Parts: sequence; structure tokens; C-alpha cells
Amino acid sequence: MFRLTNNLKNLTLSIEELSANYTNLQTVRWQRKPRWLPVAKSKVFRIPKKPETPQEDNLELQRLFNNYRTQIKSLRRHFFYKHHIQFLASEDPEQQRIIFEKDLDRCNKINDKWNAEQKVLREKRAQENLEVELEFARKRIEVENIKREEHKQKTEEYVKKVKEESKEFITAENIDKAIEIALNNPVDYNYALTPSGEKIFGRENNEFEVKEKISVKQ
Amino acid sequence: MPYKYIGRKHDFIGKTLWEIVGNLKNFGMGRIVARSRFERYPEPSFLKIIKVETLPNPEKPSYDDVRKVRVWVEKVFRGVKQPKPMVIESTSYKTDYKLIPKDQEDAYCRFKEVKQEHVKIVPKTVDFPPIMQELLKRDMISRGEKVTEVPKLELVYNKSSKQKYKIAEKDEKPDVNITLGLGTPISPSLYEGVKL
Repeated sequence: MFRLTNNLKNLTLSIEELSANYTNLQTVRWQRKPRWLPVAKSKVFRIPKKPETPQEDNLELQRLFNNYRTQIKSLRRHFFYKHHIQFLASEDPEQQRIIFEKDLDRCNKINDKWNAEQKVLREKRAQENLEVELEFARKRIEVENIKREEHKQKTEEYVKKVKEESKEFITAENIDKAIEIALNNPVDYNYALTPSGEKIFGRENNEFEVKEKISVKQ
Repeated sequence: MPYKYIGRKHDFIGKTLWEIVGNLKNFGMGRIVARSRFERYPEPSFLKIIKVETLPNPEKPSYDDVRKVRVWVEKVFRGVKQPKPMVIESTSYKTDYKLIPKDQEDAYCRFKEVKQEHVKIVPKTVDFPPIMQELLKRDMISRGEKVTEVPKLELVYNKSSKQKYKIAEKDEKPDVNITLGLGTPISPSLYEGVKL
């Protein structure tokens, strides 16, 4: 537990709120001193002042407590006389059994009646719940179907696209032709780029470009 | 050296009985002492000393034992004189006795002028708590009885002879009002601004 300490901030009466960081807080001991420890040395000669209650308070409290105690005592005696076995009239056991059975019969009837009422309610509620659940399941199926359809469409589109692209793939049949093309058209990527996108080839690898240049000059 | 008192204060004012009696001629026979504790009552309470016996030193003397004395007294408590003299021994150590000077005895002991206190008449019955009352009525109906009167709870009082009250008879009207809830307050100033 923590307690806010009195620091300078409080004395200057600043409007800003006290920050909740731990510099403002002081730990407070959680438990009290155990009863069996002796009186602290500093408290040995301390004499607590006797509490003084005003006369009218005393009189009023006395009246209230007297009333309360008298009434509770009376109620207690009332219950004692009413329920204590000593004061209960002893009856014939046969008679008591008959009374008990009658009472049981009556209770059973009431119970059966309640059960019948509850049965109707329960069945109705079960039926309603079933309806709700069936409806829910139907909706789920519909949603699932739509999802599946969408997925199927997407897949088909993808396959179509891939098929389109695969026309230019190199296969065993056209590999010779591809090699031929590659050999006839060597490409040199060893160049530098200017910010405007112009390609600058070096001195040693400009063989093809030079040819082109020559052809251009011609 | 000034005294330094340690510990809690008690409510006694005065001396032990031995401190008074031991300093008087004939151990103060015929003199009047009073307990300061009983001065809170309006009626006079005092003791007239008849006979005094000192006590032997106890085998294991303790602070309180040493201060005891055996004194026969005529006791008047709250303006009522006890028929028989009584012995004060076990309470004689209390530092609560004071000697009444001879010239003040008459003024102090005016117990014959005390009016006999009015005997309070307390009610015989009180209402049951509301729910219980309803239950009792239902019980009566279920037993096939007719509910002509509201069932009442008979109050239990301490029936010793010293009590200054009596239970109201049929025609008597009780002075003391015992009701459920707060009742009529003795000090209404405590309930200022409260709806009773």
C-alpha cells in the first residue's frame, strides 16, 4: 500500500496534478503489530484519554439498548415456548403417520401439477430452440456454398492465366530453337545507368554496341 | 521530587477506608464516610461506621491486601437505608472513600427528605415484528382460528424485588413506551433534522 507524501509540491499549491510516479509515494506497512508483542518503549508511559460521551447520548443509547434487549429476550422466550420439544404436545404415532402421509400426498399432487406445467413449457422451448438451430445451420450451409463457389471461380481464373503464360515456356520440343535464338542474340547487362535512364557501356564490353554504332555511323 | 503517575486513571476520588479510619479516634466509630462514586446519584448515599476490626498481615502481602480493613457499617444507598448493618472488607482497599466532617453530617445525610421514587409502569406486551405478525396470523387462519386481535408479544422483565417498576395490569396505562423501531427519544436534540 502507498500513501502520498507531503512534499514541496503540496506546499506551493500548484494546480497541476500530483504525478503518480513513485517519488511522491511512501510505502505503508500493511499489517498491524501482532497482539503478543509488548507495548512499544515509546508508548509505555502514554496514558490514553478517557472517552467522554455527553450525558444525553448516554441516556439515549441506554434507552435504545434497553428496548432492544427486552424485545430480543421476549422473542427468544416466545420461540423457546413455541418450538422447544418439552412444550410440544405429544401425539399418537399412528395419527402422526396419517398426517404425514396426507401431507406427502398433497405435496406430491402439487409437485405433479407443477411438473406437468413445466413439461409443456419445456417441450415448447425445446421445439423453439430446435427451430432456431436448424435455421442457423441452413444459413451456414448457404454461406458455405457461396464461399466454395467463389473459391472455385478464383482458382479457375488463376489456372487460365497460368495456361496463357505457359505458352512461352521452353519445353523439350522447342529447346533447340530457343538455344539458337539465345546464341544469336547475346545480351550484355554489364553497363551503368544514368539518372535519366541512359545506358553507358564500358570500354571492354561494348563489342556489340560498337558494331551497332559503326553500323549507325555507316 | 514530583510524583510521576504511570498507567491509566480510575474514576475514584478519595482515600482507602483504612487511611481514614486508622487516623480517627476509636477508629471513627459513629462517623460518616461516603463513596465518591455514588455521588453521581441525586439521592444521598453514605455509610455510618459501627465497628472496626483490623486485619492480620496476609501471608503473601500484595499492595491491595495491605490496605484492607474490616468495617461494619449502616448503609444508606440512594436515600434508602439497609435494614441490616453490613461488612465492608473486600472493597475497603478502594481509594474512593471520603470522611464527612462532623459539622456537615446533617447537611449530607438528608435521606429522610428524599421522595419515594415513582414506580414506573412498564407495558406487558408489544407488537411482533411486522413479518412475524403476518406469519402468526396466517398460522392462526390455517389452524382454523379467527383472527380477532393482532397477536402480541409478551415482554420479559427482570422480576427481582429491587426493581423500581411494575408490569401494567389490564386497565393501567404504562409510563414507559416500548415499541419496535426508535420510539420516542429521550434527547430529541440528537435527532434534529431526522424524520422519526
